[in-house]
Amino acid sequence: MNKIIKKDQLAAVLDSIAAKYQLIAPVQDESTVLFKPGVAGKDVVLDAVNSTVSPKGAFFPQWETMYIYNTAEADFAIKYPEEGPDRVLFGIRPCDMMALLHIDPVFIGSKFGDYYYETKRNKTTIIGVSCAKVAHTCFCSTFGGSPTGNKGADIMFYDLGDKYAVEVITDKGKAVADLFSKFLVDDTGAPAEVEAKAKELASLLKPVDVTGVKEIMDGAFENPYWKELSRKCLNCGVCTFICPTCHCFDVVDEAYMCDGQRVRCWDTCMAKDFNLAAGGHNTRPTKLEKVRNRFMHKLKYHLDRYNLAGCVGCGRCSQKCPVNLDITQVISDVKAVK
Amino acid sequence: MKKITEALKAEARKLLESNAVDLVIAYEQGSDLVHLTPLFANTPEKVDRISYNPFAVNNLGKYLLDYAPGEAKIGVVVKGCDSRALNRLIQDNCIPRERIVVIAVPCSGQLDPEKVLAKVDPRAELIEVIEQGDNYVLKTSAGDVTLNKKEFSREKCLTCETPVPVLSDITVGEVKGEGKANDYAAVKQLEALSPAEKNTFWEKYFSRCIRCNACRNVCSACNCRECVFDMMEPYWVSKKTSLSDNTVFHLTRAMHVAGRCVDCGECDRVCPMDIPLRKLNQKVLKDVKELFGSPTPGSSAEAEIALGRYNPDDPEEFM
Ligand code: SF4
Ligand code: SF4
Ligand code: SF4
Ligand code: SF4
Repeated sequence: MNKIIKKDQLAAVLDSIAAKYQLIAPVQDESTVLFKPGVAGKDVVLDAVNSTVSPKGAFFPQWETMYIYNTAEADFAIKYPEEGPDRVLFGIRPCDMMALLHIDPVFIGSKFGDYYYETKRNKTTIIGVSCAKVAHTCFCSTFGGSPTGNKGADIMFYDLGDKYAVEVITDKGKAVADLFSKFLVDDTGAPAEVEAKAKELASLLKPVDVTGVKEIMDGAFENPYWKELSRKCLNCGVCTFICPTCHCFDVVDEAYMCDGQRVRCWDTCMAKDFNLAAGGHNTRPTKLEKVRNRFMHKLKYHLDRYNLAGCVGCGRCSQKCPVNLDITQVISDVKAVK
Repeated sequence: MKKITEALKAEARKLLESNAVDLVIAYEQGSDLVHLTPLFANTPEKVDRISYNPFAVNNLGKYLLDYAPGEAKIGVVVKGCDSRALNRLIQDNCIPRERIVVIAVPCSGQLDPEKVLAKVDPRAELIEVIEQGDNYVLKTSAGDVTLNKKEFSREKCLTCETPVPVLSDITVGEVKGEGKANDYAAVKQLEALSPAEKNTFWEKYFSRCIRCNACRNVCSACNCRECVFDMMEPYWVSKKTSLSDNTVFHLTRAMHVAGRCVDCGECDRVCPMDIPLRKLNQKVLKDVKELFGSPTPGSSAEAEIALGRYNPDDPEEFM
């Protein structure tokens, strides 16, 4: 952390990375900020609190072809997609890095690992950038995060106004850092500045206390609260699609004559067909079951299964929900229902 | 605005206590200063939570569809634009008029939460909103903020056709202000583009769509029991968010709501990707008006509705 990069050098730093890796970074698209692959250093924007949609799509895209096939050929002539290039994901915020660590065990390490997610994860070096400001909806400290947290990063850039303090954390990170070492300048004061910034930002976070909520959720399945809460939900997919930890997907075959592809797409517990089974039975047919499932997953099921929180407090859902159904409100409500 | 809130509480309490309705759909304070959130008051106690101010952006009419099955009588708070949705739902036999008690609030325009956020401390508490001519004054725990309506209103409110609800059982607040005929300036601008330019314009937006379905689910015209976009058998529209699938999604939805879109602008408001959906739906609305000589759908209970009736004497041969 004793080294810094001047902000006016950032585009050059990123271009030196892009010369060897595919660069995935946030760019402005009118009023939205989105992570896109193959961007040029000068187009990368970091002034937004965070991206409109979380960067989970870099590993778990909204849709991807798993393989193509032809039913007229022997063995269906199955072809898998190419592995893709080595990549650097730059500009991801601490909450979203933590989210990746929280969904990793869904896709990696179980008996049936997920080739698509794992390959992209292995081929990607992560450069996190700490938050320069926080929104009034940010509450990452609730789940052990911090606007300057470096968990999940291979390299961490700490925003210090006109410069970034740089911390190289892993060997994978070192290989990338070597590409821009000539831009690094010594600055022994940087660690103290980072610490001061961390304190300042932490004090601005929304205070949301999640202590005891899991235990209440364990016994709250039948609580009438869910029915009342769910009335206002539209069962759209905004909250789940923009969320960095939501990871449900649907697999569909799309074929024309003999040629087909198997596609995996984001799914959401809000969708009508999410729990639709053969024969027409739906195990979560109404708003009540859908909304309850979303919060049970965030605040209980993910903890049951992986001992990891299902939410990292990025605040996207609170910000974009069309009816202001706010997870921080739910957390405080739940403590009162019992 | 305090007066309106108090009057709404009184009316809702009366309705619930006299069993005139089973449920009142209104607004309560949301999780921050710039949001109200829908409230479903089914007991007189919940009525105390009712609140009303220029952040009452949601069109509550859509929720009537949730209560259409059954016999329940529903009180619902509506602004001018929302009230058109009620008319249109009744005309489509989605819910009978007798089961709705319309609590109409003549509207002086809603504020745009995004614009206001830049001016206020969102962590502060909202104490009261006072209307002063061309301004709203927000009294907050962090001080007063004066917001010019023209500058901070939602765009749709600047060209509102019916600020006074078009149907009402109970009216709360002063009836003032008149509607303006919409000149569809934004649509005309788009119409003037060449086909290639139009294509570029919409492709940019369609490719940004994440198909979250918020625009559909918030829309009162989207009241099909089975939506084409939910069907797996046949699989009409792919779940992929490729430009071609997204284009099918958007053009299909625009056509499906023709004659039923009441121009409440909710689709445009809820889109997390800021896709200017109102421009698309207004183009269809403008065409329907010109082709059929009908008013904005839902403007009156009596007016002939375009594309919404079956008539054996229809001059169209296909009928
Ligand atoms: S909570 Fe909000 S964003 Fe999520 S499905 Fe319900 S209405 Fe949509
Ligand atoms: S549930 Fe909401 S706050 Fe939590 S991680 Fe997902 S989008 Fe962020
Ligand atoms: S469009 Fe008209 S009725 Fe609707 S919120 Fe705006 S001013 Fe009020
Ligand atoms: S609300 Fe916006 S992002 Fe969502 S489906 Fe509609 S247009 Fe697409």
